Amino acid sequence: MKASSSSSITELLGALCDCSLSGVSWKRRSLGTVSRESFRRTLKKRVYGALLSKLFQDGTKGPVPGQSAAANTPPRNKVLMICFDLRVAGCREEAERLEGQLERLPEGTSSGLQEVDAVLELLVHLAGSAPPAPSSF
Amino acid sequence: MASAANANLNAVRETMDVLLEISRLLNTGLDMESLSICVRLCEQGINPEALSAVIKELRKTSESLKASENSTS
Repeated sequence: MKASSSSSITELLGALCDCSLSGVSWKRRSLGTVSRESFRRTLKKRVYGALLSKLFQDGTKGPVPGQSAAANTPPRNKVLMICFDLRVAGCREEAERLEGQLERLPEGTSSGLQEVDAVLELLVHLAGSAPPAPSSF
Repeated sequence: MASAANANLNAVRETMDVLLEISRLLNTGLDMESLSICVRLCEQGINPEALSAVIKELRKTSESLKASENSTS
């Protein structure tokens, strides 16, 4: 399934599953009990599980002291806070590059997107979640 | 009409380039394809925190699959 041709939430989540399965050899696996399709089904179940569990947490979550401030901080400010952390950690160059990109990021409708702040919020949540890139010698 | 659509397309392209660079600097592990899917999911109203949980779950599951593949080969 190509992401460019999908539009519904279910199709987009399916495309996200496909992305995460790239690089897995299914030729050898198909000889065993796990096929690509059955694994994709399991993956989609887990995706919906993660999505729904978050939904229910949101519904039961009361006003927790200390959490509301972070929740109400605009995502651009959260990125600036990450820049500050990078500077404190001695990564001045990365902090400046990040600040520069944040300045380049258009706000509101001029970005061509409706939810640019939501995307930025997602990136903040995923910050540092990937293994660090191998250093080149 | 067509020029307005072109201008919007250029704005989206430019925004996507900046978002990809921010994503790379934040070490989120998203490539352009995953990022564009995530952007479209956010545009559909999916909560970004819930979406980040989904992506982490997908990574965890696919990593365990790849690890089991390596251990059996």
